[in-house]
Amino acid sequence: MSDIVCSSGVELLMDYLDGVLPPQLRAALDEHVAGCQRCTAFVESYRATPRILRDATAAALPPDLEVSLKAFLRARTNAFRSR
Amino acid sequence: MAVPIEEPNDETLVARAASGDDSAFEAIVERYQARVFRLACRLTSETDAPDVLQETFLKVYRHLASFRGESQFKTWLYRVASNTALMHRRASTRRPAEPLDVFLPRFDEKGRHAATPAELQVAARADELLDRQFLAQKARDVVTQLPDIYRDAFVLRDLEDLSTDDVAQARGITPATVRQRVHRARLMLRGYLSGLVGVKP
Repeated sequence: MSDIVCSSGVELLMDYLDGVLPPQLRAALDEHVAGCQRCTAFVESYRATPRILRDATAAALPPDLEVSLKAFLRARTNAFRSR
Repeated sequence: MAVPIEEPNDETLVARAASGDDSAFEAIVERYQARVFRLACRLTSETDAPDVLQETFLKVYRHLASFRGESQFKTWLYRVASNTALMHRRASTRRPAEPLDVFLPRFDEKGRHAATPAELQVAARADELLDRQFLAQKARDVVTQLPDIYRDAFVLRDLEDLSTDDVAQARGITPATVRQRVHRARLMLRGYLSGLVGVKP
């Protein structure tokens, strides 16, 4: 029987997902989450958070900025001179 | 049928560029410009990002000879880019951030989640439930509101997908510190996404 409750389990999630949680704690957390619907739901949303924010904040390089970057580097380096 | 030409890897390009082959430097710029711009937007703003982009590649050009290959080129580039971005952030006036602590998870006196499973799960579907443009705007805003140390770690680790060790190397902190900061950011952002959908953290 593990001593883990939701609040202490939450604090182990990053280490768990990064693969650095000691095996005994890992097993204890697995056991708690498997028997706790709230933690199962929490873990799902915790894992989804980086993906959702990654997709939502992916700015594309504007084509005119690509042109001005080349011009900037051409003026200050020897690169992009042949174009 | 065209035979695919194998692209030289970063380290080959860097070695060629360092020995004066400017076409190799151009290839590095073309390979990474979109990623550096995206990183700069996430660490500063769309207004500051063009300057960060230019300065980053100018520094890379000037310091190619000092890149010794102790780390991957990509890690080194992210260090240069993130340092440049941070200098810009310090230089520009920042609006006071609203504390995001209110979005941290809540527990009852026995340490159990205060919210129901359905409420706890909803953040995982924020991208299905919310308008795409609305979410994009809110996501940019909230990343800006993160305290700097959390923002830097979260952007590099979770948004740019560097490994924890690479973030530690790029920012000069320990992997344990990276994990602690990323974790805190994830908790706040997870609760924020819940809030956008209309559910308490």
